[in-house]
Amino acid sequence: MLAFEPRNVNPVLAGLEEGRLSPVEALEALRDSSDLSASQRGQEGTPSNTWRLNEALAELDSLIGLHKVKALVREIVAYVRIQQIRAARQLSAEPLVLHMVFSGNPGTGKTTCARLFGKMFREMGVLEKGHLVERERADLVGEYIGHTAQKTREQIKKALGGILFIDEAYALARGGEKDFGKEAIDTLVKAMEDYRDKLIVILAGYRDEMTTFIQTNPGIRSRFPIHIEFPDYSTEELLKIADLMLKKRDYRLDLAARARLEFILSRRTGSGNEHSGNARLVRNIIERAIRRQALRLVDKQQLTREELMIIRREDIGDDF
Amino acid sequence: MKRCIVVGKPNVGKTLLVLSLAEYLKVKAIEITFQDPDGTKYSRTYAIGIALGELVGPRPHETRCLQSVVLQLPTGKGKKVVEFVDTTGLTEYIHQDASIRKAMAQTLAAIRPAQLVIHVMDAQEAGREYASPAAGDLDRQLAVFAGSRGGYCIVANKMDLPDAKRGLARLQRMFAGYTIFPVSAVAKTGFREVKRHVVRNL
Repeated sequence: MLAFEPRNVNPVLAGLEEGRLSPVEALEALRDSSDLSASQRGQEGTPSNTWRLNEALAELDSLIGLHKVKALVREIVAYVRIQQIRAARQLSAEPLVLHMVFSGNPGTGKTTCARLFGKMFREMGVLEKGHLVERERADLVGEYIGHTAQKTREQIKKALGGILFIDEAYALARGGEKDFGKEAIDTLVKAMEDYRDKLIVILAGYRDEMTTFIQTNPGIRSRFPIHIEFPDYSTEELLKIADLMLKKRDYRLDLAARARLEFILSRRTGSGNEHSGNARLVRNIIERAIRRQALRLVDKQQLTREELMIIRREDIGDDF
Repeated sequence: MKRCIVVGKPNVGKTLLVLSLAEYLKVKAIEITFQDPDGTKYSRTYAIGIALGELVGPRPHETRCLQSVVLQLPTGKGKKVVEFVDTTGLTEYIHQDASIRKAMAQTLAAIRPAQLVIHVMDAQEAGREYASPAAGDLDRQLAVFAGSRGGYCIVANKMDLPDAKRGLARLQRMFAGYTIFPVSAVAKTGFREVKRHVVRNL
């Protein structure tokens, strides 16, 4: 054997190749180890993949708040792992049905989480590519009879090997009996059965609308075993998000600006303000503050490093 | 596409089984995809007769890589498309030829991802007295390794030869609890049952 020839990743199979084990011994050893399926998938188990999985998990942990979501993600990751190991040890394993429903207001981290799920499932060998295809009603529903199934199938094809993320999914059932949205749902359900191993579908939308949507479509409820609720952020969490966003961009709030931001956020969140945009609202405020700070500084002759970094109260402004 | 892998000891008739099955299904020209242990893939189209002449022979280890054939099995009105993967024979002992050892490792690695495992045994061989008590070891280990899965079945091949009846009885005793189909790949007997088993389990 040439020295630089790639060795078989599985130690048992490598032993067989190098003449250390007979096929009988190899079979015995394989039966006792869970390594086989892992190395065959070429996914879980190899160090770089575990590392990347941990990286995705760390990225999830770095998100502010979302405690329930994080706990649930760990649960799912553990579940997938154990089912894989069970299958490798010849125990009956639950089929991995990982279609999900995300309900929550806009800006609560649904898309971000979906993207991370794609990454994690790829590293764990559940999905081949793990890319996220983000679609909404208009991408799935057609204009004339027969058009819808065709359009929906097209989008599903693009998502194979990854995640099909349907935003505002309840809109598919909004038009009543004659609406083409129904057809899109039917096509989707069919594809979920056909491509069971290749596709994960995530339906996302506002909490109340999603609840009615799922309750009125029993076929959907039974096919989406995982429901994740994304609660609104509290004012403190939003402030933390703001700090994080600014830090990434090398900016800082001074005390008055921070108080002003807190005031805006506390007024805009809480009951009665479900559609305020949550983290997206924070991003909009900050991006505008950055523009206003630039306007304030642009005519000055001499700028210190400090001045370039500080966001003042007037940059945040009174509107919002 | 569903994969059905054909495994067993050398010279039990794995390749012949796959090719005869294709012939039984009235396939005239067959496209065989060869996948070497190092991962290179190529395919060739054979007339069945030529494939039988080139790929099957009396010496052990005629097959030294994965040879896959896509066959359409009729089911009721429709068809089921199944990829049959023919493999390198697995020996009891450590083989002295490195390329064959590699091919055997490739075979073992291919077993787990396959949806269905057909384990071929030589009924005539089983009918004779085993040379040593260890001689049945590989088949036993293979049966335990792959046998707990839904679609696993044993094909007792070479039923047209003398002593095969006795061998079948012995195999049925040794592998009680597993599904065993007596088949003669040469005479094309027993294929209907095997076909039905494959269709039902995929």
